[in-house]
Amino acid sequence: MATVQVSEAEKVYILHGVRDDLRVDGRGCEDYRHMEIETDMVSNTDGSAKVTLGHTDVLVGVKAEMGKPRPMVPDEGYLEFFVDCSANATPEFEGRGGDELGMELSNTLYKVFNNRYSVDLKSLCISPGEHCWVLYVDVLLLQCDGNLFDAISVAIKAALFNTKIPKVHISEDEEGGKEIELSDDPYDCMRLNVENVPCIVTLCKVGHRHVVDATLQEKACSVASLIISVTHKGTVTCVRKVGGGSLDPESIFEMTETGKRVGKALHAPLMALLQEEESLGKKRQKVGFLG
Amino acid sequence: MPTDTKRVRGPEVSQSPSLFLCKNAVKKSTASNDARVDGRQRGQVDVRSVFVRCGLISQAKGSAYIEAGNTKLICCVYGPRETERKDETDMKSGRLITDMRFAPFSCRERGSWIQGSDEKDLSLMLLESLRPGVCLQKYPRSQIEVNVMVLENDGAVLAHAVTCASMALVDAGIEMYDLVLGCSIRQEGATYLIDPTFLEENGYNLASGSRENLGSLTVAFLPSLNQISGLQSDGEMGEDTLTGGVRTCIEGCFKLYPVIQQALSKAVRRKAPPSES
Repeated sequence: MATVQVSEAEKVYILHGVRDDLRVDGRGCEDYRHMEIETDMVSNTDGSAKVTLGHTDVLVGVKAEMGKPRPMVPDEGYLEFFVDCSANATPEFEGRGGDELGMELSNTLYKVFNNRYSVDLKSLCISPGEHCWVLYVDVLLLQCDGNLFDAISVAIKAALFNTKIPKVHISEDEEGGKEIELSDDPYDCMRLNVENVPCIVTLCKVGHRHVVDATLQEKACSVASLIISVTHKGTVTCVRKVGGGSLDPESIFEMTETGKRVGKALHAPLMALLQEEESLGKKRQKVGFLG
Repeated sequence: MPTDTKRVRGPEVSQSPSLFLCKNAVKKSTASNDARVDGRQRGQVDVRSVFVRCGLISQAKGSAYIEAGNTKLICCVYGPRETERKDETDMKSGRLITDMRFAPFSCRERGSWIQGSDEKDLSLMLLESLRPGVCLQKYPRSQIEVNVMVLENDGAVLAHAVTCASMALVDAGIEMYDLVLGCSIRQEGATYLIDPTFLEENGYNLASGSRENLGSLTVAFLPSLNQISGLQSDGEMGEDTLTGGVRTCIEGCFKLYPVIQQALSKAVRRKAPPSES
């Protein structure tokens, strides 16, 4: 991960601040930085979203393609994740440098979505055993300032909300073969229900307390973090400890509780915002990449 | 990208017959609510009995073999050695490099020799679980390599890999703060199955009606220091279930602790020169 070198004096300063629930930029331990979300930015995709969290910038594009369903579950479609750490984010990612981090992020995303409720996979089926929709979710990291998991999960939720999958009709022709027809109307499409898509909350252990949405400096002062993905109902779909340090079981229980609370509170405003943006329709002013 | 040019592979679209077999077998097996297939109980801390032995591989600095039910793993430790890549040499502490691989014949379906993303993920989690236990600052400018090979996968592979790797590190004489033990649990509805077999892990013997609270959890634990060094969960669970699961895994680790300690003291005694008397 992109890291900064922090001096001992700076570390002590950050630790003492966190102990008193006051971080370097004035936030409390459970506050997020300023988040901006915009959807439908890339016209070649079926759904896209860009999330800016402080100085972290993430762009997600979702493309729906027709493929063969997995043999064990012939009546379901599936999602494929790929995270690319672009060399723009930090010079450490040049060449193959970002591959390791990208692989770690993709694997965690697979685990987060590896359950029956996050995305309704049965709605992605076209004809059981033969055709299904495969959603390729591609994440691009443009800028890296800590807390990648949170930004990526919010961007994925927004992009899936924005995804418009064309409706297909299967018809039988004269010889009994199946023909797939796409409707001519470009607005005749199916939307996904993203109510149950989880959001990831990263909690970093700094001193004796834990912080949400850590910046790179705060990350340099912590030895271990806990990644927890929470749905809007409060169920936990994935928990993972990252970092080279160890955690006390009591800390883990505290962090899980905080993560669940913060994660649950994230969903309602996010859905409200996405629906508001959608309702603006054509009147919406596109901010794009330079705003 | 490295491709496997030495082996003739089957056609890309072929599927193993076992995919179609399993579903029939599930319907026939009696899903009795209390007993598991191998006689252990649901909802109780009933880990499989383990067979462990150290010092099997003469070439390696330290090695260990673990067998739990049908899961068989072997681990070798090489080091401390000079770091191969000079630009990554750390002046203040050593580096731990882990590598976990599955033999192609280890799982129900034939795997490939090329490391897939699952194996890379498991290697990373093994690294994160072992790092807090090893005194790396005593080995500056060096690297310690831990290689785990799964010979047969019958569930709870990561948990047993952590235990096996920490035994191999001790056998190699690497200084450690504490042993790192791993325990795995599969949550099904209201009950849990500790140390699940492969079939239980993949949900084949589901007790009827348990659709909620379905998930797996693996914990790596340092018993003397009471610290958790690795935690990973999957599926979906309520928060209380997760907390309860972590506590159960810790109990499972404590059950395993005396067995591992005994095996290690036997190994050390075997290695020690015979006393003169």
